[in-house]
Amino acid sequence: MISANEPSATDVSSEGADQVDEAALAQAMRVVPLGAAVLAGAAVALLVIGYLAIYLLVFLPRGAVG
Amino acid sequence: MTDQPAEPHERRILGTELLWAFGVGVLIAAILGMIVFTALTRSINPPSNVEHIDPKRLHLSGEFAEQNLGTTVGADGSVTVRAIATQFMFVPRCIAVPRGRPVTLRFATPDVIHGLLITGTNVNTMVVPGFVAQVYTTFTSSGDLLMPCHEYCGFGHSEMWASVQVVPDNEFKPDREGRVSCAQR
Repeated sequence: MISANEPSATDVSSEGADQVDEAALAQAMRVVPLGAAVLAGAAVALLVIGYLAIYLLVFLPRGAVG
Repeated sequence: MTDQPAEPHERRILGTELLWAFGVGVLIAAILGMIVFTALTRSINPPSNVEHIDPKRLHLSGEFAEQNLGTTVGADGSVTVRAIATQFMFVPRCIAVPRGRPVTLRFATPDVIHGLLITGTNVNTMVVPGFVAQVYTTFTSSGDLLMPCHEYCGFGHSEMWASVQVVPDNEFKPDREGRVSCAQR
């Protein structure tokens, strides 16, 4: 019979998993912000390049308006 | 939780977010600055004329009466185009304008909301009953340009278009009344 004060097998395994997750989290957190910044930066850069291309090569040459 | 010192990775995330916010702020400021710069130096602005006109009477007298429609060259050399957008045509169907000179385009409608653009230019406006739509522009190349209605105005909307004939300045010759019509080609 298992005492109520003794940790169950589930508790032990989840505690161990938590320790592994903390270590993995710290490792992931060292690289995830850089990856997210590169991905978001590439997406925004493409958007800005498209905007500038249309603005400078199509909109401005079409001349004055007001 | 908030009293505890931030973990190193949390500080890094905060730093990344602040850097991202700064970068986006710089981008927005640069784009807005570019728009203001071109507006001031190249006269590129959204048309913003607000001028009322009675849509029920505009064809009876005044500048939008039939004899006043089309292209007119004023005594000071200014070029003004007046046209009516109506279901389902522009009057006149062809507009002659000079290349390389400022042109004032004025439109009115007696019926429903229309819109127009001139291909290859930045001319793009709506024509709303009760208002005069006015656009300034300078045409930079010769040729025939299409001017379709771009605001759905009824069953004949797809047939509603006009031509803009841009001619070199030396071929743009007003008659004795200062009027210029499209050349027959």
